[in-house]
Amino acid sequence: MSGKNKGLSKAREIYLNRSQRARELKAAGKKIIGYPCVYVPLEMLTALDLVPYQTCGDMKEPVTEADRALPHAFCPIMRNCLHCALKGKNDFLEGMVTIHSCDPQEKTARVWESYTKYPYFHFIDMPITVRPEAVEYFKGQLDDFRKTLEVFTGKKLSKDRLEVATKSHNRQRALVTELYELTKSSPPLISGTEIVQVVKALTSLPVAEGNDLLIETISEVKKRTAGPEKKSARLLIWSSTLDDTDIMQVFEAKANVVMNESCGGVRAYRGEVKLTADPLEGLADYYLNEITCARTFRQATLGETRKDYARDLQSRFGYLKGTIKDWRINGVVMLLVRYCDPFAFEMPSLKDYLNSIGIPSTYIEYDYTTGALAPMRTRVEAFIETISR
Amino acid sequence: MTHQEVNLYFAGVDIGSTMTKVVLTDKAGNLLSFIKGPTGAEHRRLANEVMRQALEEARLHIDDISYVVATGYGRLNVPFADRQITELSCHARGVSSLFPGARTAIDIGGQDAKCLRIDNGRLASFVMNDKCAAGTGRFLEVTASALSIRLEDMGDISLKATRRVPISNLCTIFAQQEVVALLSRGEKLENILAGLHDALASRVAALARRLGIEPELVLTGGVAKNIGMVKAMKESLGCEILVPKEPLLTGALGAAILAKETYKKAPAAGEALPTKSRRLEKATFFNQEYR
Repeated sequence: MSGKNKGLSKAREIYLNRSQRARELKAAGKKIIGYPCVYVPLEMLTALDLVPYQTCGDMKEPVTEADRALPHAFCPIMRNCLHCALKGKNDFLEGMVTIHSCDPQEKTARVWESYTKYPYFHFIDMPITVRPEAVEYFKGQLDDFRKTLEVFTGKKLSKDRLEVATKSHNRQRALVTELYELTKSSPPLISGTEIVQVVKALTSLPVAEGNDLLIETISEVKKRTAGPEKKSARLLIWSSTLDDTDIMQVFEAKANVVMNESCGGVRAYRGEVKLTADPLEGLADYYLNEITCARTFRQATLGETRKDYARDLQSRFGYLKGTIKDWRINGVVMLLVRYCDPFAFEMPSLKDYLNSIGIPSTYIEYDYTTGALAPMRTRVEAFIETISR
Repeated sequence: MTHQEVNLYFAGVDIGSTMTKVVLTDKAGNLLSFIKGPTGAEHRRLANEVMRQALEEARLHIDDISYVVATGYGRLNVPFADRQITELSCHARGVSSLFPGARTAIDIGGQDAKCLRIDNGRLASFVMNDKCAAGTGRFLEVTASALSIRLEDMGDISLKATRRVPISNLCTIFAQQEVVALLSRGEKLENILAGLHDALASRVAALARRLGIEPELVLTGGVAKNIGMVKAMKESLGCEILVPKEPLLTGALGAAILAKETYKKAPAAGEALPTKSRRLEKATFFNQEYR
C-alpha cells in the first residue's frame, strides 16, 4: 500500500481513492474483476486468485453518460454505476460479474456488457424465493459461473481452493461482526461514518488485505479515547444502499448511527458460509438465505393454507428485533432510494413490524446524489426530535 | 423574585425558503412583536436585520433576550441563535399553543408541504412532500405569474368560479403550460383558478391521508391566506379547517415557545444552558467554509 496509514486513517484514504490499490495490483499482474452487487459470491473469484472490486457509484458525480442507455425514471444507483463505468473510471477491470438481484441490475448488466469490452463477462441468474427448489437452481447457476471462470483463468476451481477462500471471506464476516460490536456502547466507539469508510474499503481490496485492515481498525478503535460524541438518539438505518459519508453525516449530526442495515454496512457480512461437501451448496444457501435484501421474497406460510400476517412479518423482519434490543436502538430510518420498488414495497410491512415491537420509524427518500441535502436534513432532524425527548 | 427573572424575553426566528419570520415573546408567552420579510438569497444572510426590526418594535435590546431558537431551512444561518429546532417541531408547538385541541396541522409553504400529527402539544409524526414543487406554494406562485395576476388576489377571484376546470398536471411546469393553453382557449380565469386550487388541495390531502387526519385540523403557511385554497382543502378533506390569524407565524411562534421551555427546563434539570454571543452578526454563506 502506498501510505504508512493503518486502521481508520487507511480506511479513509482508500474510501477517498477507492481504485488506487486495484490499479497497483493490476500493474503487478493481478486480474481485477468488477461486481455491482453483494450477491455475487466473491469466494469463487478469490479462489482463482482474481481480485473482486465492487463497482460502486459516486454520489458526487452528475450522471450524464448513463442517459445514452438508461431511462431517467430508473434506479439512480445503477444509473450512477453505469455512468462511472462508461466514463472509464473502472478501466483497470479485466472482467465483470453481474447478477439478477433485482430487475435494474439485470437490465443494466446487458447494457454494461454491450457498451464495455472486458475480456471476461458473466451474468448469474438468481431466483427471488428461498424455496428448496430455488436454492437448487441457484446452485446450478453457480456451477455455470464456475465453468466460465475456469475457462477464463485456465485453472480448475477445486474444492480445496474454494474452501480456503470461503474461510478467508468467513473471517471477514466475523471481523465485521466484531467491528459492529464496538457500536453497542453509548457513545459508540466507532461512528457510522467511519464504518462506511471501512466497509467501502473492504469492497476495494483483496480479502486478505481487507482482513488486515479490519484487525488494525478493531484494535485501534478498542484502544481509542476520543471516539464519537454521544448524541440524543441511537439509530438503525434500513436501506438498499447507504455507502456515502455525506449522507451518513446528515444522520450523525444529531444521532449515533449504530447499525447500517444496508449494502454499505452490515448486510453482506452476517453469519457465515457453511463448508458443505459440495462447496457450491454452502454458497448457494448463504447468498440466497442469509443476505436479507428486500429483493428476496420470504414467506413464513410456505405451503400452508392459513395466512398469518404477524408470523409473516416475524419471518421477514424478525432478525432485526435482537439487534434493536442489543444495540439499544430507539429509532429506525427507512431510507429509500428513489424508484427502488423492492424496498418501497417492503417498507409498509417493515413499518407494521416495527410498530408491533414498539420502535418508532420514519421513511425518507433520496435519489443517490449529494445535491439538495437540506430537505433530507430537516426530515431526519424532525424525526430525531420526536424520539429523543 | 429578582429583577432579572421578571424580565425574560424569548425569540423565535423562522427562515423559510420564501419568508423570514421573527417572533418575540415575554415569559408569559405574550406576543411582543413579529416581523415578516422576504427571505431571498441576500436576506438569508441578514437574519440580524429582521431581528433588529423586531427588537425595535418591541423596544428591546438584543441583550434582553434570554434564549433564541432558529428554525426553517435557513436555521443554520442565524449566528445569534442558541439552538436550532426543525420547523416541524416548531409548527406543532406553535399550532397547539394557538389551538390546544389541534391534533393535525398542515403547513403549505413556498417550497414544501408538511402534515403533522400533534400529541400533548408536541410533534408526534409527520409526512412531507417529496423534492418537487407540486403541492407547494410555488405551484400557485408560478401559475399566478403565468396568468399575470397577483398571488394575493388568486383566492378571491377563484370564489367567483361557476365551474372548476380540471387541471390534470400536478407538475408545476406542465400545469403552467396547461393553464396558459386553457386561457387561450377562452376558459374563464376564475374557473381555471378554482381548478388550480382543487389540484393543489387534492395533492396535499393525499399526503395528509397517508399520515391519518384527526380533528381538530389547522392549516398554516402562506397558502392558508388564500381563501380559495382553504375552501378547496375543506372539500378535499371533508372536514372543518381552522386557520390562525397569522398563518405564517406559527413556526416562529413555536420556536419562541420552545426557546422559553428550553430555557426553563435546563436549570430545573441541573444543567448549565450554553448561549451564543448576543451580537447581531451578519451571516454569510462563505465565512465558515472558505475562510
